[in-house]
Amino acid sequence: MADAPPSKPLLFTGAKSLSTRLILSTLTGRPIRIMKIRSTTSSTATGLLPHEISLLRLLDAVTNGSRIEFSMTGTGLSYAPGLIVGSGSTTSTSSSTGNRAGVVRHEVPAECRRGASYFLLPLALLAPFAKTPINVLLTGPGCITSATSHGDVSVDTLRTAILPLFARFGVQNNIELRVLRRSNPGAGGRGGGGEVQLVFGHQVRLPKTLHWMHPGRVKRVRGVAYATGVGGAMNARVIETVRGVLNPLVPDTYIFSDVSSAPFVAAAENSRGGKGVAPQDKKKKTGIGFGISLVAETASGALYSADVASPPAGGVTPEDIGRQAAFQLLETIEQGGCVPKVAAETVLVLMAMGSEDVGRVRLGRDVLGCEEVVGLARDLRAFGGSGWGVRDVDDDGEEDGRGDVVVSVVGRGVGNVGRKIA
Amino acid sequence: MAVALGKRKREAVRVGRRALSEEHEGSDESESEADMQEIFRRHFEARFEPLPEQPKPTEEEESDEDDDEEMVGKESEWEGLSSGPEDEIEVVEHALNIPGGDGEETLSKKELRAFMSAKPPSAVSIAASSTLAPGKPTEDDEAGEKVNLKNDLALQRLLSESHLLDSSTSTGPVGKNRHKATDLRLLSLGSKSSILTQQKMPMAHRKGIIAKAATKEETRRREAKEAGVVLEKEKKKRRKGVEENRWRDRGVGGPSVGKFRDGALVLSRRDVAAIRGPSGRGGRGGKGGRGGGGKGKKRGASGGTIRI
Repeated sequence: MADAPPSKPLLFTGAKSLSTRLILSTLTGRPIRIMKIRSTTSSTATGLLPHEISLLRLLDAVTNGSRIEFSMTGTGLSYAPGLIVGSGSTTSTSSSTGNRAGVVRHEVPAECRRGASYFLLPLALLAPFAKTPINVLLTGPGCITSATSHGDVSVDTLRTAILPLFARFGVQNNIELRVLRRSNPGAGGRGGGGEVQLVFGHQVRLPKTLHWMHPGRVKRVRGVAYATGVGGAMNARVIETVRGVLNPLVPDTYIFSDVSSAPFVAAAENSRGGKGVAPQDKKKKTGIGFGISLVAETASGALYSADVASPPAGGVTPEDIGRQAAFQLLETIEQGGCVPKVAAETVLVLMAMGSEDVGRVRLGRDVLGCEEVVGLARDLRAFGGSGWGVRDVDDDGEEDGRGDVVVSVVGRGVGNVGRKIA
Repeated sequence: MAVALGKRKREAVRVGRRALSEEHEGSDESESEADMQEIFRRHFEARFEPLPEQPKPTEEEESDEDDDEEMVGKESEWEGLSSGPEDEIEVVEHALNIPGGDGEETLSKKELRAFMSAKPPSAVSIAASSTLAPGKPTEDDEAGEKVNLKNDLALQRLLSESHLLDSSTSTGPVGKNRHKATDLRLLSLGSKSSILTQQKMPMAHRKGIIAKAATKEETRRREAKEAGVVLEKEKKKRRKGVEENRWRDRGVGGPSVGKFRDGALVLSRRDVAAIRGPSGRGGRGGKGGRGGGGKGKKRGASGGTIRI
């Protein structure tokens, strides 16, 4: 692999779907170069943002031999991917003793505004193709486990609505997502102080080909209401409202409640203070708030999810949060298809990385037509994938097509380079 | 006909209700209550049948206190109507199907634990359901399949163990032969050694056995040689402790040469030599090489190693 001639880097512009491009680059082995990252949108915040740099660091930690270069202003990035080794190589000193399953500890900076799922979703996409199991502990003063206003899902949704989809690709063993400490976005939406550990111990040569044509009807709704640093009554009120909306529609509704205290993080101002400052004074509480994650499961195992969390500024009642979440769930269900918007990227990338066979999945028209999915299709094309086949479900003679669309994706058959027979 | 009848009735009822509600505009509460009832009533009538005219409670206090009585009154009026020859009243019950109210009973403990554990919840259920997925075979099929399997196994065994059977026993091996048959089966299933070989014995005993086998073999070879019979080649004596199958099982997906360690293929000196082949000078030691006398000395010095 190291001897392979360096191919010409693919050129991209803009900061959009940066994580997707990085993941595709790592999976396909093509180097990329991204220019004009926020070069014109704002005069104050040009270039890469803290969460993007943190993601690059994380990629560097789980791969071996990646080269990452920034331009002087931070508006340009060149990335040459290495081999996805997982967490085994970080403890190379202990490899002689046989304990090779290390834990990559990734500290998220305090300025980060994105949720933990911003890091965990790409990581979960890389993990099946790694050489050794992935075991990453996301921690630090910027780790937000709840949903954020930037569209990140909460870690509960990630665990209950997105990770189960990997089972459809034959990846289902030793997958765990442990929420060690919860956190909502801190003041101004910045930072958190949560802690999440992703263990992804199932590596495959090639994911199975997916054929998923029937979404089925919703049979149950589950959810997790979380409250950090606020009373458990918030959870109760959120749950009450959600059940008020959903119970007449789906009697099998159950929502769990998770109440935890607010996490402590080292206060940035005081940490440089004098020697006389007591240790507890150097810390501050952060990430106070509440929210809810809802997952509806259909008879065929499709998972629709909704995520709403209280804004960091506060001022929204739990009833409003609950009603929003319930309506958001209903809207997602209405969009139809077997895969909702939040999971579409994961499923489509896994299909594209599968064996050289045509996989099919049924998507809602709005899901396929959204900006992210169309952008993903273009990016996949740029990375040398074949185009998608799209046709209406109704053309197959099905009565209840609901305007859905069947997307056929041909796999690249590259799969796991680390697992190839040498 | 019934539809037309119903429409006419509804009109009459509406007018009547409105007139009544206008009468009672005095208090806000009674007004809103009347409105709500009106809405419900209209909805019901739109879907089913017109309701009969009901006496409006004249006073609010009365309506609160005499709720039960009023219900009874309604009840009796319903009875009267339904007894009519044409009116078929459809009874629809609207009830939420929530056993236990707060749903705690609906979830088994197992399911609770599965959802809130660190693992993705439905990975388990999908795996479980996929094992159950193939259609249930009918009982006849199942029984036939079982019998077939049994016969198959019996035939296989008969074929493989027929040499153990003597003429007297035809149903199956007995006694010593039964043990031998078991041993054969175990060996075919992957047992490393026969169960009939004795594991533990005094050292002198074992030495004696080995010595006896060696002398037996030696006499056989000597006699064959004297008689001019060509025997099979003698097996090379292996070093002590080296197993018959000395190559480690490399598993599937591993490299066919070298070791894959820390993301790099590591080749030992021997691996490199094997790849390069015997062309290297003195690669296999011994006499190799086509060189003249002058190179002989050098060969001795390098001693069959290759520097990388």
